[in-house]
Amino acid sequence: MKGLRRSTTSSSVPSTASPRLSPSWIHLRSLLILASATSPRRGSLRSPWTKRKRKHSLSHRHWHNLLSPDGKFHDGGVKFIKKVRSGGVDPSIRAEVWPFLLGVYDLNSSSAERSITGIQKRKQYESLRRKCQQLLDQCHRGDRLKVIDEVSNSVSSIFNKDCKFHDYEDDASTRPSCFSAEYLYNLQDDHSIHDGYYSSNLSYFEKEYRDQLTSIDRYAWGAESSSSESSLEDENELLLASSISDSCVEHDPILTKIPSIRGDFSEYNRTPEDFATWQRIIRLDAIRANAEWVIYSPELAAVSMEKALHSAASVGLKDYEDLDPGMVYHAARMVAVLEAYAVYDPEIGYCQGMSDLLSPILVVMEEDHEAFWCFAGLMRKARQNFRLDETGILRQLNIVSKIIKCKDLHLYQHLEKLQAEDCCFVYRMVLALLRRELTFEQTMCLWEVMWADQAAIRSGIRKSARERMRLRAPPADDLLLYTIAACILQRRKLIIERYSSMDEIVKECNNMAGTLDVWRLLDDAHDLVLTVHQKI
Amino acid sequence: MAYKADDDYDYLFKVVLIGDSGVGKSNLLSRFTRNEFSLESKSTIGVEFATRSIRVDEKVVKAQIWDTAGQERYRAITSAYYRGAVGALVVYDITRNVTFDNVERWLKELRDHTDSSIVIMLVGNKADVRHLRAVDTEAATAFAERENTYFMETSALESTNVEKAFTEVLNQIYQVVSRKALEATSHSTSLPKGQTINVGKDDVSAVKKAGCCSS
Repeated sequence: MKGLRRSTTSSSVPSTASPRLSPSWIHLRSLLILASATSPRRGSLRSPWTKRKRKHSLSHRHWHNLLSPDGKFHDGGVKFIKKVRSGGVDPSIRAEVWPFLLGVYDLNSSSAERSITGIQKRKQYESLRRKCQQLLDQCHRGDRLKVIDEVSNSVSSIFNKDCKFHDYEDDASTRPSCFSAEYLYNLQDDHSIHDGYYSSNLSYFEKEYRDQLTSIDRYAWGAESSSSESSLEDENELLLASSISDSCVEHDPILTKIPSIRGDFSEYNRTPEDFATWQRIIRLDAIRANAEWVIYSPELAAVSMEKALHSAASVGLKDYEDLDPGMVYHAARMVAVLEAYAVYDPEIGYCQGMSDLLSPILVVMEEDHEAFWCFAGLMRKARQNFRLDETGILRQLNIVSKIIKCKDLHLYQHLEKLQAEDCCFVYRMVLALLRRELTFEQTMCLWEVMWADQAAIRSGIRKSARERMRLRAPPADDLLLYTIAACILQRRKLIIERYSSMDEIVKECNNMAGTLDVWRLLDDAHDLVLTVHQKI
Repeated sequence: MAYKADDDYDYLFKVVLIGDSGVGKSNLLSRFTRNEFSLESKSTIGVEFATRSIRVDEKVVKAQIWDTAGQERYRAITSAYYRGAVGALVVYDITRNVTFDNVERWLKELRDHTDSSIVIMLVGNKADVRHLRAVDTEAATAFAERENTYFMETSALESTNVEKAFTEVLNQIYQVVSRKALEATSHSTSLPKGQTINVGKDDVSAVKKAGCCSS
């Protein structure tokens, strides 16, 4: 908030025409640098995200006090969400807390219910892994073409037969949606996979597909169709889950066209990516993951060579000769979870950048199946950014652009002058949720605050008027975008006075790593939510 | 070929690095601009760039090299950055045939988005991994001849031919620019010093700067 005040103050001062920094600004800036350098441990977890009301992260003790003996929140999770929104989570309880923040567990669930859910989810993950293994074996045997053919055939028969649960079945453009739901359904050899969470994702896919034209061929990526009939009961389950989640699934409106460099986007001719491609790129990215996480999880890093080699072998990971056992183990887990996700959500499959999102989760959640479901929870929103047609990411960039325009017209006009008002320079920040710009710990803090906002919205936690006053900003589904806009607004002076081309802004953004103060960014983002959210 | 200060140059050439994921584009860039190599360099998301100035024919040429993400899905955003490029290195990995097979697609895309005078070099990277070679040098040479591009095998890891590949491209761009400048002056004798010379679709690159006092 303070940071934004600063920028508001500076925006009220008309900038001089001179491209050089005025001496007074240089003076002010050195003061700011000094101030940020001396502020006590702002980047650490102990920092609050408002200076006025310094708050600590959710501690181990506080966490357990929030829960009744049957493991339910006393108040439906209101205090929990509020606490995490303001200060994040203590590292010692992250593994317990993240599944709640990411929607793996319902905020109203009891311990007993969670243990049942946990068992189901474990089975579902194992089933996805078995499917991955089959696909891997098939690829190795080189009978992909045959498999693709089989899938295509069975898919068309499913399509002709089982499209009853769509009210838009006559529309040719909706075919892939029907296909996708059924297809995914048939992909699973374990019917227990259809619990609420999974089914809600199916309906999610359906919605997605309605909005776009995709080719059925894109999905013929070498899966074997294990069964082509589904019981009426299961269909009803799907239908039910679909109608329930329809109300809470966010709609992705057709993107308003972003000008300048995106002009020829829609005519762009895409070649489909197949599962084999994903398998290859996943392994490539898993091996080149950096070792930043090691100090956060010495136990995982100290895994035995035997265990590391075993897990590498189990997912067919090669080319890791130069890596320590801990890195090999991490890479193997990454392959396992990302591949399972590609099977779980074949519309998105694997896209580079997703490994950046998974890495912190793998470090916190020691079991692969737990990591998988947390990752799937994170992807529920983030998957939009990885869509093949890029409409999700473009919509996000458009929102960042709007926030800047609302808050700081002067900066926006400067961006227009440089043909950079589409904010493509924040592409990486949006896609990797600031993972590349922040340290490991900072990333986790930001994400926790972000997830808490999303969890509040998901579970319909509404604040009383008094609460709203105290918390100031309402939970925002797009807190990340406000944070990124805050990041750019913090550099408004530099951009307006020093930068005369988009290249320079791209460079600035690519070199931000290690220079950001996550809590100050959140202060500013919070303030932006309060001031411009209604207008966006 | 000394490194020069960032703002002291006669020409600015924009060069793009394209090719499949994991062929070593980012390491070629870091080897050329910073003499660095990293085995764990992360995947490039969107685009990044780095610069280095070299001397060509008594002129300082500043190369602005754009590194792009290799995954198919990122092509819409990365292709936007072809705008104004006057040179390109199309990179494949000599140990993976599929990356060589895809060169044709990369070339097509490049030519769709850039001026026909763009200087292209086909680069077979990871030449140090001799025991795993999958793409013959002869096949690549023949392909490059057919496609009318330059060709070189490099190793960003061992720093083999990296310098050579980039400087060759920059040299060739310089020749194109000089030729165009010459043609322009022969058509109009009154071309003032500091005239912008277009070699690409627009004037992002190849700006001849107006003497030493310009900013």
